[in-house]
Amino acid sequence: MTRFLRRRGWVAGLFILFALLLVATKIIQPGYGAGDFVSLSRAVLPYAFAVAAQTVVVIAGGIDLSVAAMMALTSVTAAAMMNGASPSYALFVVPFVLALGFVLGAVNGILIIVTRVPDIVVTLAMLFVLQGAALLVLSAPGGSAAEWLKALVVGTVPLPLLPDAVTAWFPKALLLLVVCLGIVWIPLKHSKLGLSLYAIGSSELAAFRSGVPVARTRILAYAFSGLFAAMGGLTLTMSTGIGAPIPGPYLLASVAAVVLGGVTLGGGRGGLVGPIVAVFVLRLVRTDLTLMAVDPNVTTIVEGVIMVVVVMLGAFLAMKGRSP
Amino acid sequence: MTNTRALRLGLLAGAALLASVAGSWAQGTYTIGVSNTVQGNGWREEMICAIKAEALASGKVAKLNIAHRNTDAAGQSEDIRNLISAGVNAIVVNPADPSGINAALKEATDKGIVVVAVDQAVTEPSAYVVSNNQEQYAYLGAKWLFQQIGGKGDVVYMRGAAGASADSDRDKGFKKALAEFPDVKVVQEVFTGWQQDQGKQQILDFIATGTPFNGIWTSGIDNVIVDALVESQTPLVPVVGADNAGFVGQLNTVPNFTGAAVTNPGSIGAAGVTLALQILDGKKPAEQTVLVDPQLWENATAEGKAKLKAAADPSLSPEWPVSISIPGWTDYTKEQIVACKGPGE
Repeated sequence: MTRFLRRRGWVAGLFILFALLLVATKIIQPGYGAGDFVSLSRAVLPYAFAVAAQTVVVIAGGIDLSVAAMMALTSVTAAAMMNGASPSYALFVVPFVLALGFVLGAVNGILIIVTRVPDIVVTLAMLFVLQGAALLVLSAPGGSAAEWLKALVVGTVPLPLLPDAVTAWFPKALLLLVVCLGIVWIPLKHSKLGLSLYAIGSSELAAFRSGVPVARTRILAYAFSGLFAAMGGLTLTMSTGIGAPIPGPYLLASVAAVVLGGVTLGGGRGGLVGPIVAVFVLRLVRTDLTLMAVDPNVTTIVEGVIMVVVVMLGAFLAMKGRSP
Repeated sequence: MTNTRALRLGLLAGAALLASVAGSWAQGTYTIGVSNTVQGNGWREEMICAIKAEALASGKVAKLNIAHRNTDAAGQSEDIRNLISAGVNAIVVNPADPSGINAALKEATDKGIVVVAVDQAVTEPSAYVVSNNQEQYAYLGAKWLFQQIGGKGDVVYMRGAAGASADSDRDKGFKKALAEFPDVKVVQEVFTGWQQDQGKQQILDFIATGTPFNGIWTSGIDNVIVDALVESQTPLVPVVGADNAGFVGQLNTVPNFTGAAVTNPGSIGAAGVTLALQILDGKKPAEQTVLVDPQLWENATAEGKAKLKAAADPSLSPEWPVSISIPGWTDYTKEQIVACKGPGE
């Protein structure tokens, strides 16, 4: 129960932090409004899927260094396939690319289980393999995306019966994010497999002795990671209209948001909501630094310091809460 | 007595008022946003410093808002949208991709923000482009190199970053020159990613294979290539590079070395600021795209040597292009660009 409270407490704390940052943003830039929130949601998309991909694996006690490379490969595959094709062809491309991510993720898991090489080594090797594969698909940024796919992340959701002033705060990008993550994560978390994920993350030996199929669970954890990474790759293609074979800065960002989101790097603890809110916090910090015109060479230092301070403060509060 | 004192006070007050008015005018009123996606590269640093110096020297810019980090097209779109949120009047952007940031650029121009792409072109029609003529850059250098090796032989082709529009434009120029010299063969083609360390490793790897070559064309990663040739005691073949201070120095000082530097001023960033300010003041250019033509300085002739001597500037960082200003487009002094300070800094 206390653990449940603590976990919810962390997520609640992140929501409060995000709200405070929004207030701060409004003070820095009085004109900050709905349109800017829509931009924020679009900027969050690829990061959010990258962090979702990382979260599943970290909860199961692993790490996936191939997240960003997987996004690059799925992004160029989608962009190359849609290049010059009819809009309806994209209806085939999307499930194909998602399946590709799922299978490649499973390959990560199978290699770890079969070869018994540490996950950090296997996924590092896969990072290079996938990077090379992405360059084989497209040697330079290019390809295209179907217009209807691009439109999925532009603008706001038209909600009936609500005034424009309210609907302006519901970006399509946010809806897409919530739907895509929810459709996979909610059933997964409440299934036996979800319980097994947390179990092998907490203690692989205890899980094994309790009859949890450790190997299968681990493989599926990586497969779902691959699926989320493929969603991230698709959002990259949707938001830029092209595929870029060189991976973006999503690997380290995903690890950062996982930690800030209250997921224990050792595994077994945390959820998906925390890391996603953490992504919003980190992107909004970047926005604020740009709004304040902070020296660009200083911004990454500021971002890093904020992260360490928040995590330290959170751990300190959690410790205080435990002592009588 | 009191009268003169009052007069003197009055004059003083008047002068102070004038000075403050002049001061506020010199402060300028515009806010200009800058977006760049390569950090830690000498050429890009010079571009940023040129933007700062020009904003200061123009006297029309109150504040610069610089989003400068290593990222991809999606990240640059995020930066551009943040600059829109910040309420800038104009955005000077060095695009990560010719079409990948179009959606964000369109949002900016729809809001009445003047968008100027520098160094590389974008396909968004509402944006202005001020660029070095990259096709001509490659054509000039490659043609000189092919003539220098007698119109036949094997050359190493060291390109920039795959997919960058500057690289694909340069490739067009290089291929154009190559078509004019049918006996010249490309024996090795690599992408340096415009990274010094990577380029040096690639040429060392190639030298280790023992494949003979007669010349090297580089996309601006030049001085480390000459270093590699000297260090590995390989015959000094002609090398074409950019006008980076280090390479220009080598052309002047390394014995028995022939080569050519093609100008590719990083100060093009300042030209972007100048164009943006002209448009904000209601002076639109006739063309949406403005190209700055490069020059070639070689050390094979006495005339070329004189040009190189005049251009050399050992006081600059070796990775900075020596052409720190562009006539007609830049107004700052050398001290200002080296100081790298913008308005209000």
